[in-house]
Amino acid sequence: MTYQPTIGIECHVQLATRTKLFSATDNDARDAEPNAKVSEIDFALPGMLPYLNHEAVRLAVRAAQALNAEVARVSRFDRKHYFYPDLPKGYQISQMYQPIILAGHVDLPNGTTVRVEHAHLEEDAGKLTHHDGYSLVDLNRAGTPLIEIVSEPDIHSAADARAYAEELHKIMTYAGVTNGDLYHGNMRFDVNVSVSDTDALGTRTEVKNLNSFRSVEAAVEYEIGRQIEVLESGEKITQETRGWLDDENKTVSQRSKENAQDYRYMPDPDIPPIVLDEADVKEMQADFPRMPKEYRARFSELHVDDSVINALLANQKIAEKLYKVIEESSTDIAKRIANWFATVITENDETDLPSTANLIALSQLTGQEKLSSTAAKEIFIDIMKNDEDPMIIAQRKNLLQVSDSARIQKIVEEVLASPAGAKAAADITSGNDKAIGFLVGLVMKESRGKANPAIARKTIIEKINQK
Amino acid sequence: MKITEKEIRHLAELTGLSLTVDEQRGMAVDLEKIVEYIGELGELDTAGVDPTYQVTGLENVWREDTVGQHLSREELLELAPAVRGNSVEVHQVL
Repeated sequence: MTYQPTIGIECHVQLATRTKLFSATDNDARDAEPNAKVSEIDFALPGMLPYLNHEAVRLAVRAAQALNAEVARVSRFDRKHYFYPDLPKGYQISQMYQPIILAGHVDLPNGTTVRVEHAHLEEDAGKLTHHDGYSLVDLNRAGTPLIEIVSEPDIHSAADARAYAEELHKIMTYAGVTNGDLYHGNMRFDVNVSVSDTDALGTRTEVKNLNSFRSVEAAVEYEIGRQIEVLESGEKITQETRGWLDDENKTVSQRSKENAQDYRYMPDPDIPPIVLDEADVKEMQADFPRMPKEYRARFSELHVDDSVINALLANQKIAEKLYKVIEESSTDIAKRIANWFATVITENDETDLPSTANLIALSQLTGQEKLSSTAAKEIFIDIMKNDEDPMIIAQRKNLLQVSDSARIQKIVEEVLASPAGAKAAADITSGNDKAIGFLVGLVMKESRGKANPAIARKTIIEKINQK
Repeated sequence: MKITEKEIRHLAELTGLSLTVDEQRGMAVDLEKIVEYIGELGELDTAGVDPTYQVTGLENVWREDTVGQHLSREELLELAPAVRGNSVEVHQVL
């Protein structure tokens, strides 16, 4: 029997704000001591009034554009009640009924479109650590602004689940909505997985809190296999939440899922609604950057390997630089630069990039064979460190190739006149073509690597044939 | 609307309350009366009336994204019933 897997993903994205969603507390809890980033609002002291962070609203509105989604004209906050010490208020402030981001979609590089049902603003909870006989509460993360992006069940493989997670990460970081630091939990994924051998959807399970692309793919893969095994043995899937054990590469049952009504949602009377007209949205979405999809379309003109394109897209500044290069030069020139970039890219490279003009000049010098590919790469690495005219560097380092045929002819004549050269020439005349390479090598040596090898080769053949 | 003791036990579990059997019985009676009383509002014709989410009439109340003054960790931890290191200590929950 064949089973069709169906997957929906909820993704929590931590917004790149300086302060928390409802308090003026420092939001950077990376490697901070427990409760170093807390205030009376985060601690939920009686009478405290949450006060909405405008930047969180602005970033959510920009996230909407990245998700190809409309922004709600009116959105509101609700209380989601649960009793657990990670939020001392006894509820989480979220958006249940009128979320700020309406339906949208994400296009994956392989052409699949995943619809987004909605996305809403909410606060994160604190962290508990469990010990023998007691638990400890750290509220550094309590109140950190998140958007939760809820996809439609449009994903049908573990590979696409990963591709969706990766693409979300790219568009959210490109849009500046999040810092995208997965190590510090800036993006966390909950995957809902079911399998079915009919048109109807099967019973689903949810694997919560996956914090890497690899674990998203592995958890979905595992759940598909586990569910098929359960069904094949004649049993039924239990609707439940499961945890992912990264070390053992498997999911385990955690608890049966609460009903939505168990959260006793109610409108939060403390926070007035967010009301945005078209002009507000336009202002908040001003200067919106290009998205990965647009770069991919442009870079496909270069006919470079997908691995090169993926390497370029890993760094937004480099992707944008190459886009400008294509606009200002030709695909031939840009292709060379794309390949250079692909070999040096690191994801979080903060160094300034060379000017578009110097990159183009370097590629032109290479195209005109004034620089060997090795010399070009050397200068490329130089200008990545210190932006300078590549011609000046080439002259200073004496890297310009000799393409001047008179000078090359002279060197070839000298080489052919030497005993080793004469012997090789004789070998060629008697049919051993391999000796040409040896002669080119001698010319290169004589010119200290600067002769254009193609011209040297051509000249050698001409000279021998003249004899 | 009948409120059963089973529903009271479910609510008590969700809200983290421990109730004796007597308290459960009493709570079921009280809650039933409260729900009935509020239920009288259901007799009103609210067709065409917008739900009231807020009574202040305010909208877009927000602040700039800058770190402000607030109580310190020490002051806040002093208010907690139990503290260990820099963390609030609670009964073991897992």
